[in-house]
Amino acid sequence: MAASLDAAGHDKGRTLYRAKCQFCHGIRGDGKGPAAESLLEHPVDFTDSKFWKDDVTKKIYETITHGKEMMPAFDLTPDDIAAITSYISHTFKNAPQDDKPGRVGQ
Amino acid sequence: MIGTHRTQVVLVLGVLASLELVLSTTVQAIPSFARQTNLPCNACHTVFPELTPFGRMFKLGGYVMSKSGKAYEFPLPLAGMLQASHTTAKGLTSGVAPFDSANRATDRLALPQQASLFFGGRIYDQLGAFVQGTYDGASNHLVLDMTDIRYADNTLLWNKNLIYGVTLNNGPTVQDVWNAIPAWGFPFSSSSVAPTPAAAAKIDGGLDQQVGGIGAYVFWNNAVYLGGAVYRTARNGITEPLGAGTVTEDVVDGVAPYWRLALEHRWKNHFFTLGTYGMQADIFPSGERSGPTDRFTDIAFDAQYQFMGTIEPEDPPEHEKPGGENKPKAGKHIITAHATWIHESQDRKANVLLGNTANRSDSLRSFKLDLNYYYRSHVGDIGGSIGCFSTTGTTDHLLYPAGPLDGSRTGSPESSGYILGAEYRPWEKTKISLQYIVYDRFNGARSNYDGAGRNASDNRTLYAVLWLMF
Repeated sequence: MAASLDAAGHDKGRTLYRAKCQFCHGIRGDGKGPAAESLLEHPVDFTDSKFWKDDVTKKIYETITHGKEMMPAFDLTPDDIAAITSYISHTFKNAPQDDKPGRVGQ
Repeated sequence: MIGTHRTQVVLVLGVLASLELVLSTTVQAIPSFARQTNLPCNACHTVFPELTPFGRMFKLGGYVMSKSGKAYEFPLPLAGMLQASHTTAKGLTSGVAPFDSANRATDRLALPQQASLFFGGRIYDQLGAFVQGTYDGASNHLVLDMTDIRYADNTLLWNKNLIYGVTLNNGPTVQDVWNAIPAWGFPFSSSSVAPTPAAAAKIDGGLDQQVGGIGAYVFWNNAVYLGGAVYRTARNGITEPLGAGTVTEDVVDGVAPYWRLALEHRWKNHFFTLGTYGMQADIFPSGERSGPTDRFTDIAFDAQYQFMGTIEPEDPPEHEKPGGENKPKAGKHIITAHATWIHESQDRKANVLLGNTANRSDSLRSFKLDLNYYYRSHVGDIGGSIGCFSTTGTTDHLLYPAGPLDGSRTGSPESSGYILGAEYRPWEKTKISLQYIVYDRFNGARSNYDGAGRNASDNRTLYAVLWLMF
């Protein structure tokens, strides 16, 4: 799944992120969405550089497909997941980080 | 006769429990919210129907959180509920439940007490609904029960999260997400045939399913909730379907405004809420549709505390356990406390002219407090609750007249007592509850409260209910 992003892919990724991810992971991708405060453990912070180590594409794919801890599994196609992966990579990977403890990536 | 009846009850409950066992192990996809989100029931409920912090977010978000990549749900998010109950008390009212039409005075089986079909989940994109159609076994009627259709979204305001939405619903407080308020408050189920006190504030269920309303709300920074709505009687126009099946007893003149403010704060795994809510309604006297009205002004305060437990550090992640499923982490000890106080001013300028009330101005004050605890064990959720309630108000011999069972010798609306509860949720979608209600005072007195020799203690009620969700 390549992380390259054309305009249509970006729009699709943004739409899917907004509908599926934003409520917990936040508009800024920092793991501080509206629902984050209600969870016993905070969602992943996509702006944290530690999240982007290792094979992120595989990690995101498996987490969305199988779920992990508080996050349920989603019925999304590989193309959908690739669009989300590209979107969060391009949007949040190098975003300024809010260094609050307890918001580290997994 | 009674022995035969009990045998039938045990047989039917056994069949239902067996069916639920089969369903719970083979059909992971129901009820509809769990199917839609791919989350277990206890992500949103301590023990249903009480909400967890995440459940409140799910509702505020418009019931639209979904595992699906489509903008709609297919199949439709439908679910069902069956309640069977048994009540033991003196002086039960008549019931007409299909399997229990006998008119016994001291114990009564309601099978079903209630059977409901839900549409619960996303309609399209950010539009979702909780719609409950109910067969009421006591009245033998079909009604549109709790209904809340809402559009919601989220954004940032002053760099903080903001959830905003609009709701179309059929009762003040139905749209609320905290369980201290009347529509979703303690006790979460009650006998439909046991004696209950005569007086209650209008906002405490007095207009439920008789009105339709539209409202808007915001929840900012996970801290400040502000909402408002206006309600009109659901007898005609666009709100008419919201009152389907319910007999309209109170007709509102124009619209009744409702307001709500709540402040929530999290400290570690403790969630604190303080709030206020209220309503003003001008209501025609019974049977009237024009002319003077009575004005009811309700001002209420509420508080809630919820401890969601701690994740045991020695527990390995579920997905690392042999054969373990990918279940969300959750605390094992859950504690919730609720309190609400309602003051109602009643300006009875219409009914005093008709001679139905002795006073032009009456008032009611009610208070409820409860505490529950649940332990999530490997054999299911086990818990209990304790609560107390009190209603006081102006003495009015015409409004609260004497009469056997539900009357008042003193003309006073005062009632108070305690509720003890035990609950067991052996499987995800099954709950068994036992409830014991003790009255200190009932309709104004401890003894001979109705003028016919009945004491408040005679209304002690033992109520057992089985909830099946599917």
